[in-house]
Formats: sequence, C-alpha cells, structure tokens
Amino acid sequence: MIRLHHVGKVFGSGPARRVALSDISFSVARGEFAVLNGPSGAGKTTLLRLIYREELPSEGEIEIAGIDVPALRRRQVPRLRRSIGIVFQDAKLLAGRTVFENIAFVLRVIGTPRKDITPRAFSALKAVGLSSRAQAYPKQLSQGEAQRASLARAIAKSPGLLLADEPTGNLDDDMADEILEVIREIWQRGTTVFLATHQAGLAAHLKRRTLTLAGGRLVKDEG
Amino acid sequence: MFPFLVSEALRDLRRAGRVGLAAILLITLSLGALGCFWLLSLNLGRAVTQWRERLRVVAYLREEPKPAAVEDLVARVQALGGIQRVRYVSRAEALALLKRSLGPQASVVEQLPRNPLPASLELTPDEETATPEGTRALVQRLSALPEVEEVQGGAEWVESLAQWQRLFQLTGLGVGAVLALAAILTVTTATTLVLHVRRDEMEIMRLVGATETVIRLPLLLQGMAQGLLGAVVALVGLEGAYILLAPRVEPLLTLTLGLGRAVFLSTPQVALLLAGGAMLGALGGLLAKGRAEV
Repeated sequence: MIRLHHVGKVFGSGPARRVALSDISFSVARGEFAVLNGPSGAGKTTLLRLIYREELPSEGEIEIAGIDVPALRRRQVPRLRRSIGIVFQDAKLLAGRTVFENIAFVLRVIGTPRKDITPRAFSALKAVGLSSRAQAYPKQLSQGEAQRASLARAIAKSPGLLLADEPTGNLDDDMADEILEVIREIWQRGTTVFLATHQAGLAAHLKRRTLTLAGGRLVKDEG
Repeated sequence: MFPFLVSEALRDLRRAGRVGLAAILLITLSLGALGCFWLLSLNLGRAVTQWRERLRVVAYLREEPKPAAVEDLVARVQALGGIQRVRYVSRAEALALLKRSLGPQASVVEQLPRNPLPASLELTPDEETATPEGTRALVQRLSALPEVEEVQGGAEWVESLAQWQRLFQLTGLGVGAVLALAAILTVTTATTLVLHVRRDEMEIMRLVGATETVIRLPLLLQGMAQGLLGAVVALVGLEGAYILLAPRVEPLLTLTLGLGRAVFLSTPQVALLLAGGAMLGALGGLLAKGRAEV
C-alpha cells in the first residue's frame, strides 16, 4: 500500500538549508497497521505530507496503492487524496456545521451521489460511536468526541489508507485509548492504518509494527 | 454537484456581509449610470435617424420650367450625385401646399394678387451625403446650375444632435467604466474576505480530494450572483424611472425632437446589461482567486 524508496526531503537552500528526511525506505502492506514513532521534529509530519502529496520529495520514490505520487500532476492529486483518509492532532472540524454536516460536506465535495450521503455519513458516525451527536456543533463536543468526528469524516469516503498524525496528542489517556480503539476497529474492517505519534509508550501499547524516526532518518523498524 | 456549488456560493454571499452589499450597490450604480446614458443616447439616436431621413435640400428655380423641360432638369440634378430622390414642385403645387399648411387661415392666400412662390426641386440626400460636409457640397453643386436661384437646407443641426448622442454615449461609457472598476475592486475585496473565512473549509476540501474547480467555483458563482443582483436592481430602478418620467418628458420630446414617445431598452439590451453585471462580478471573483494564490 505504501512504498518509499530512498526518500529525502530538504527545505530551503544555502545557509537556510535544512534536511528534514534522509534516505527513508520502507513498505507498509495493504491491510497492515504500522506506527511511525519519533520525537517532535523527527520528520513524522513531513513524511505523512509526502505520502498525501502536500509536499514533494527532494529525492527518492513514493508509491501509494501503485500510484507514483511525485509524478502526479496537480490536477491528479485529488484522485490520490480520495483514497486516503487523514486525521490530525487538531480535529479540524468546520465550526459552522454540525458533525453530520461536516461529514456530508466532505462527501459532497468529492462528488458522492446525493442519495448515498446520509447513509454513508451515519454509517461512519456509527463506526466511531458518535451517532447520537450527529446534530451537535464542534464547540459542543469534548475533545475525544471531536477527534471521533474527525475519524468519521476520514472514513466516510471509504479510504483504503488511513493516515493519522498524532491523533491522540491533545487527549488525556482515557480519551486516547478510546480513539485508538476506534482506529483499531477501522483497521480490523480492512483499512490500512499508518499512525504517527511522538509517544513511545503509545507505540508500545499498540503492539504493532513500529518505524522509528530520529533526526530525519529511519533508525528502527520492528514488530 | 452544481446545485451544491450554487448553495455554497449563496452561503458565501451571506458571509460577505456588508462588503458584499457594497459590491452589489456599486454594480447597481455603475450599470444604472450606464443604462441611464444608454437610454438617453438610444432616444437621441432615434431622433437623429428620424431627422436624417427627413432631411431635405430645396433648390428654388429662377423660372418655372416648361413641362417638357422638367424631366431633363430633374435628370441633370440627379446626375450631380449624393441624391436619393428629387421631386419637382411647381408654383401651383407650392401654393396648394401653402394653403394646406395654413389650414383655416388659407383664405389669406386668396387675397394675393398673384402666386408669389417659385417652382422648386425638393431633394432627399442619400445616407452618405446627409452630413454637414455632404450637404454643403451638394448645395454648392446645385447653386452652380443656371436654373437655380437659391438653395436652402443643411444638416448642421442634425449633426449637432448626433454629437450630443455621441457625447451621451461616451459619458455613459466613461462613468460606467469608472464605477465598474470600483465595483470589480469591491467584489474582489468581498470575495477575498470570504476566502479568509473559508480558509479552513478550503484546506479540508483539498485534503479530502476535492478538485480545484469544486473549491473555486463557488467564489466565481458568488461574484456572478453579486453582479447579477446588482444588474437586476439597476434595471428595476431604470424601468421604474422610465415608467415614472416618460409620460412627463414625452410632450417635450415631441415638441423639440419630434419623437412620438421615449422607448426603453430592448430585450437584447436588457440581457446585455444583465450579462455585463454577471461578468463584472465574475471578474471580481476571479481577481480574488488570483490574489489568494499569490
């Protein structure tokens, strides 16, 4: 599902030159649950951004579900992103829309047929255990609920790959466990999950394959 | 998908708030001014056309030609060029015309010892000659004929009417253009504001795989909606002013310009104004798009 081959990313040039990632190579198989661990500034977010093509690599190859990501033209990027669900530390819900509307909005902008929007949105809400909060506005949600809403939004379009960038970073332990449980259930339904976290304990707790980044280099791949 | 994009555009229009209203108002003013001068120019244009069609040059003859010589004279005048039609008016016919135009006072003519009116040739200049220069040249050519005593007629005043018409056209375009520029800038500002409000929404749209068209089209549609709304208000205002003022102005028009009634813009002209409004708004939306991409 994910294949990176000697990927490097450099920002800036001259004295402002900064190497964010260097010689990263790994693969994540379809249906796998892999954790990307490393301290803040290790390059986790940059790596995820390369995967969903928010950034282009300075060198190396990236393939997602057989798609040569750096070779994509700008107008082809939406097609890649439709196959990827993304969640962030900040839930990024639209304040002026209810939870249901947040999900329906995403489905509409990617061209989902109108008749399918409501069933798919409610199915996603059910999957994250948030059906009862469908009509709530983001400010009425707890942080855990907001993150679950964000997960529902990510999975509503049935992506093959779920990228989670510090999804529990803002949450206390109980809420973090809840979110991880939801992500585990999503994975068990067949979605490939690639989760980035700076919390080493959380990575160990998940008992999944863990890739460790340090200083922009892949220093460990175990599990 | 399109109804969704339209609903998003309307949502953006509400978000634009007062700046959006200001943009609509400026489009109304610019198209209103343009439409107003257009109406004036349109009606003056009708007067000019009408008077150009009625333009006559009259050549008074020294003596009334013998009936057999009339045809030859008319042919020679026709050969001078620049003439659409020549009509010979005999002295008797001229007197009869005078009587008819005097109406109830026609008896005055009866008291004249003899017919004082000369025979004449009434000429209608063709389209090219119906200008001040054209008629002046025609008058000169006619005066050179030995049979002609005096020539009357000219297109100066019709031309000055045409100059007024051009002035109205230019003023309308000038005022309309300045206001249109202001309107475009206001729509741009309104759309840029919406862009800032929508920043999060656009980020999400990009992340989930919405195409640029889906992301940008509501902005363009919002600008177009502002423009269209402005144009509709301007047209309603113009139509209202026309209904209110036309009956009061028409007698004056008849007296001064000989126009029976003032006309309003035709359906294609109304459609053009509406399209102009939509284009102004769309241009503002496009400029905001460019600004956002910098």
